[in-house]
Amino acid sequence: LSRSPKKLPTDFYSKASSSKTKRLVDVCQMFFLDYYCDMFDYVISRRERTREVAMMLKDQPNEQEVASAWQGYFQKESYALRKRRLKPRTKDFE
Amino acid sequence: NSNNVVTDFNYTPTHQLPFIKPAASTQVTSHRDLKKIVETTLNSESVLEQAVKLPKGEDLNEWIAVHCVDFYNHVNMLYGTITEFCSPTSCPKMIATNEYEYLWNLYPGKPPVSVSAPKYVECLMQWCQNFFDDENIFPVKENVPFPPQFVGRYCRQILKRLFRVYAHIYCHHFNEIFEMNLQILLNTSFRHFCLFTRNFGLLTDEDYGPLLELVNDLTSK
Repeated sequence: LSRSPKKLPTDFYSKASSSKTKRLVDVCQMFFLDYYCDMFDYVISRRERTREVAMMLKDQPNEQEVASAWQGYFQKESYALRKRRLKPRTKDFE
Repeated sequence: NSNNVVTDFNYTPTHQLPFIKPAASTQVTSHRDLKKIVETTLNSESVLEQAVKLPKGEDLNEWIAVHCVDFYNHVNMLYGTITEFCSPTSCPKMIATNEYEYLWNLYPGKPPVSVSAPKYVECLMQWCQNFFDDENIFPVKENVPFPPQFVGRYCRQILKRLFRVYAHIYCHHFNEIFEMNLQILLNTSFRHFCLFTRNFGLLTDEDYGPLLELVNDLTSK
């Protein structure tokens, strides 16, 4: 009752302790740590940059200039995001 | 204790950063330490909810495209750890519970056929990769626009199929994942996937099929 039986393949432990599986598990852990550190860092710093642009443009009286400044900024950010998609990723481990 | 600060996550870098990146004084000697730091962050409510939101001024296509590639990499990594346990013998069909089987269109022009789970995943990953490599679909250069109906024609299909790998892992390999202590990564990645697809209405309840209840649990507060 305390522990429901787990359906594990009979040779689970020998496979799980093989160096190949261990390596894949390590790579997976490193990948996700890296990914989430990097992703949060990106989201946070991007918000910070947007806030800075907003601050800078706050007292700018010329509406057209403000609009084009925002547009230029958004374009730059968008391309930076595109490059993140293209950067070589850890996908050739198998 | 600084852990208590995490509950209100509003992306002000100054007080969040310690939980995301080790502070200069934190000695990270193994990735176990690092893991703890990220886990602290990921376990706090609403962190991922906020992270999936479209940044101010961003093109929706661009945001979804990046996430398609990200989730493709997540699935690749997670499935990679169970390749030893998911073989044509153990999983002769690509199923999720006994109610759902996913077929692959192995012979173009003919109806899709039943294939083993590893074969399905192999075909799926190659199929995604072909889209990502096609600059007419996933543009590479600056200011090159996405094709018309980019999300509906490509992204939705990609995400819908990537979901099936999560479903297969949850329904048929969760014990292995758990024994290898990867359940936090799997849950985080899957919850992230669900929050993202729900936030932009990319998948229907039908697409979530065998995991609909779990998806609802993970995406509600």
